[in-house]
Amino acid sequence: MAKPVVQRKYTLGERIYLVEILKGLGLTWKHFIFNFRASLKPGPHTVPTCWQYPWDRREIAPVFRGEHMLSLDEKGREKCIACGMCARVCPAQCITVKKGKVKEGEEEKYAGKFYPASFEIDLLRCIFCGFCEETCPKSAIVLGQGYELAQYEGKECIITKERLINNFKAALDSGNLKPPRKKVPVAGAKEKKSLKSGDKKGSKAQEA
Amino acid sequence: MNEWTIAIIKVVFIWSWTLLIATIMTWVERRGSALIQDRLGPNIAGPFGLFQPLADGIKLFTKEEFAPKHAHKILFTLGPVLFAIQAFSAYAVIPFGDKIVINAKEIVLQVADVNIGFLFVLAVGSLAVYGFVVGGWGSNNKYSLLGGLRATAQLLSYEVPLGLAMLAVCMTYGSFSLREISLDQAGTFLGFLPNWGIFKQPLGFLVFIVAAYAEANRVPFDLPEAESELVAGYHTEYGGMRLGLYLFGEYVNLYTLSALMVTIYFGAWHIPYVDMSSYLGPLAYGIVSFLVFFLKCAFFLWLFVWVRWTIPRFRFDQLMGLGWKSLIPLGLLNLFVTAFLIQITV
Repeated sequence: MAKPVVQRKYTLGERIYLVEILKGLGLTWKHFIFNFRASLKPGPHTVPTCWQYPWDRREIAPVFRGEHMLSLDEKGREKCIACGMCARVCPAQCITVKKGKVKEGEEEKYAGKFYPASFEIDLLRCIFCGFCEETCPKSAIVLGQGYELAQYEGKECIITKERLINNFKAALDSGNLKPPRKKVPVAGAKEKKSLKSGDKKGSKAQEA
Repeated sequence: MNEWTIAIIKVVFIWSWTLLIATIMTWVERRGSALIQDRLGPNIAGPFGLFQPLADGIKLFTKEEFAPKHAHKILFTLGPVLFAIQAFSAYAVIPFGDKIVINAKEIVLQVADVNIGFLFVLAVGSLAVYGFVVGGWGSNNKYSLLGGLRATAQLLSYEVPLGLAMLAVCMTYGSFSLREISLDQAGTFLGFLPNWGIFKQPLGFLVFIVAAYAEANRVPFDLPEAESELVAGYHTEYGGMRLGLYLFGEYVNLYTLSALMVTIYFGAWHIPYVDMSSYLGPLAYGIVSFLVFFLKCAFFLWLFVWVRWTIPRFRFDQLMGLGWKSLIPLGLLNLFVTAFLIQITV
């Protein structure tokens, strides 16, 4: 049974409607005056509810998942060991990693024995779920805070290793690096000590 | 300067002035609505975004003149033109100041002081219906047609209370001429009030202002273009400068109605308790009377914007009910009371 709707009887003042209109005008006038005063103040963010985007940005949460980056360790070596875990776990299958063996004399450039000869992420496919970040054994791939990803051409959206590392350097310079994520416990997997130490290294690098 | 030159200068001046006001009103509307709704509105182009109407105008002019395939070629173009013509010509009989003296020549600040006065405004104002209905029919679109039909019904219904309110004013002042009505409003009424029409015709003003909002198709009576039900009503299919004419015409109509309200209810160019002509020279008096008149108009223009962003839209049956069941009886009552008061005082 639907509940019967009983309309309240309006008083005479309400039925004439003019008083109600004046009340409404008073309310909008209050808003107008408040915002008018605020808009005269200097600076980009004057009206409290209005962000003037290019000059005035909201603060981004530290756990925000934006454009990816490939981190370097405290000695400036690439942390990625090209294991391909991120490519495997990616639900959108947007990561392509090609493995390369570190040659003699190049050890100061790479942290592991292998390095990614090419590392491509197709941002048009990426769903920014953060699984790659969670699964990475070396905490190499991290989702940063960049969110202005619009491009004129599709191929510009496939970001290469160079840009991934540049993203990391830029984030390091601006101090926007988030603390490393806690490892997600995997059922049945034993916690290895090496992983923990890797974590510590990573956190040191990010503090530096 | 002979009469003709003066007349042409006045026509060109008031035409460009109303156009300028209409242009600025688009900016006022957008910034005002934004501030009322806790936003900022267009503030990038020029100081405070004042050049935004210029940018909008350039956009409208350079846009493709697109007409739908099945639209009636002639009527589709004729609609906005008819609307704009009536909008611009309605101001002809309304004063915009008292008089100005240049080179010992007295110039009345009014394009044409015709003795039928506001009958002309009413007649030309109702021509707006043709703009709506021709545009709506010519678009060959059901929403446009519905918008046009609604405009017709609404404008015809609200013409009656508007006329009744004006008729009572005419009885009070004994003249149709808007200049004579303005001149009559100098001095004080009952010894302490300014001698303004609103104090003689309070109920008439109420009927007039409600009917004026309906005549101008403004919220809460903007049913011909109700965007939540009719897309954009009669100008659904329009774009480019054809749409621009409709929009300009609407703001010019607002200015005309504001000026009419100021002329017959708010003492035209008179400042209460002060006789400006005794303090100022003839040239300065002309300019100040123009400015005072414009400031009063500006308040009513702002009121149009302010009300628009305060009150929700009426339903169509409510609109018709208000027009026929409230405003027309009130207008008639006002007419009888006025007639009675005139009969016992004269």
